[in-house]
Amino acid sequence: MCPLSAQNTPVLIIGGGVAGLTAALELDRRGLPSLLVDKGPRLGGQARGFCCKALVSCARCGACRVGDLLEQVARRPGIQVLTQALPVAAQRQGPGWEVTLIPQPAPEGSAPALAPALAMERPLAQRLVVQAGAVILAVGHQVFDPARKSRLGHGRVPGVISAGQLEQALAQGGLPGQARRIAFIQCVGSRDQVLGRLYCSRVCCGFALRLARLARHLAPESAVTFFHMDVQDYGQAWRAELAEMRADLRFIRAIPGQVRRGQEGPVVAYAGEGGQPQEEEFDLVVLATGLEPPTAAPAFNEMFGLQPGPEGFLAPGAGVLVAGTAAGPRSIAESIEHAALAAAQAGLHLAAGQPAPRGEVAHA
Amino acid sequence: MRLNDCDPGFKQEIAREPGGQGIQACFACAACTARCPVGELKPEYDPRRLLRLAVLGRREEVLASPLIWLCCSCQSCSEVCPQDVRCSDVLTAIKNLAARAGYAPPSGQAMARQLAAHGRLLTVGEFENEKRAELGLPPVSEEPADYQAILGAEAAAPRPAGEGA
Repeated sequence: MCPLSAQNTPVLIIGGGVAGLTAALELDRRGLPSLLVDKGPRLGGQARGFCCKALVSCARCGACRVGDLLEQVARRPGIQVLTQALPVAAQRQGPGWEVTLIPQPAPEGSAPALAPALAMERPLAQRLVVQAGAVILAVGHQVFDPARKSRLGHGRVPGVISAGQLEQALAQGGLPGQARRIAFIQCVGSRDQVLGRLYCSRVCCGFALRLARLARHLAPESAVTFFHMDVQDYGQAWRAELAEMRADLRFIRAIPGQVRRGQEGPVVAYAGEGGQPQEEEFDLVVLATGLEPPTAAPAFNEMFGLQPGPEGFLAPGAGVLVAGTAAGPRSIAESIEHAALAAAQAGLHLAAGQPAPRGEVAHA
Repeated sequence: MRLNDCDPGFKQEIAREPGGQGIQACFACAACTARCPVGELKPEYDPRRLLRLAVLGRREEVLASPLIWLCCSCQSCSEVCPQDVRCSDVLTAIKNLAARAGYAPPSGQAMARQLAAHGRLLTVGEFENEKRAELGLPPVSEEPADYQAILGAEAAAPRPAGEGA
């Protein structure tokens, strides 16, 4: 049974992904206990299923950080964990909040091979009211559903998959089918005014290019084409890597207009080098899907009386901090930094007994 | 390309024209070019390139280009554009600016002269006048006096050729 009879915690962290785990560790480092809750049965969030992108040396994708964080959290008695716990109501209590959690049923066929249960994962047994001095929302993001961009063929044209699906395939050991001609299409669900997603999702270029490099490594005879608008800059080390990738992969500065079914694989219509429309057949087309605000953002805005943040992501409010991708698109490493900052701000809030500074906003 | 040769106000000028506002949202992703049926027939026609030149302020290069008149307004580009640029509407805005600057193509100028001289681009015969009668409209002839009476005094003083395309 759940050992939480006191139902009191300095900080309630909602969401047990990279940002939530980091925030809990950072608070623990500062001597502040916390209660970490997740609506699902497993901690680790979306990054838990990511595969290592290293070839000879580390690709700095951050996927391994999830395992490190989980291991550390399991070792800190100051961090209490409740899984399958969904916040449904919140009331202001002095400088803090009183949050009601309700148990969630375990989803059918949960505990996939990639995410075996951990010792500290303890499902919430019954409705629980938590008094917290501060709340950190680390509820993560939603991945854009590529089927909404129907002309790119996802779910309609065989051989068109999302970058997430390729990641899963690579994590399980290889490229889908006998894919030798591979195309990546960037900015699917990002920088798209028609979809109301005007922002850059920031992580997809690095994500897709690391996957592309891994695919080339697994199948050296494969050829990769990278359709993009421009490539995000991730600093000095990345620029050197990018130069290598430019030599190895075919970069085409054009977003295709359509992907249709061809004789053998998907056919991509795009603007060729001289600016003429042309078509080319591939074995596999990978759509680099963007990051969207968490689906629960409006519910959290209402629960905690928050103003909607930039682009529909979450923004901090009185006694409420936001950590990680819930505040805007960011990488695993950036989420860790962002969550550590949110934890520090929660500490300041508790020390002062007044609302934390609100200056920090998402870069979106 | 030298910045001194560019007109930074050109894109705003286009944006002020009806339908031209979209130019400000263009990321130059080339989704328009990928789906352009004109480009399939005329390889040098590239809507992304035309819009990019316009954004860069290559005023004369764009307005004098015979390519801008090739857009067939099929709106394929508008359909695929992630930024809702409405490329063919932007090209209409550019065509209007070009016409005002005296760059209308000869065929357009000929039509303008015809319109100024006769008030119409097609001959009017018995069929048209029967239809006009059904609609309760007075009959018209090939005489300029007729259209001047209908359109008023302004039409009687046509603008010089090249402004009316």
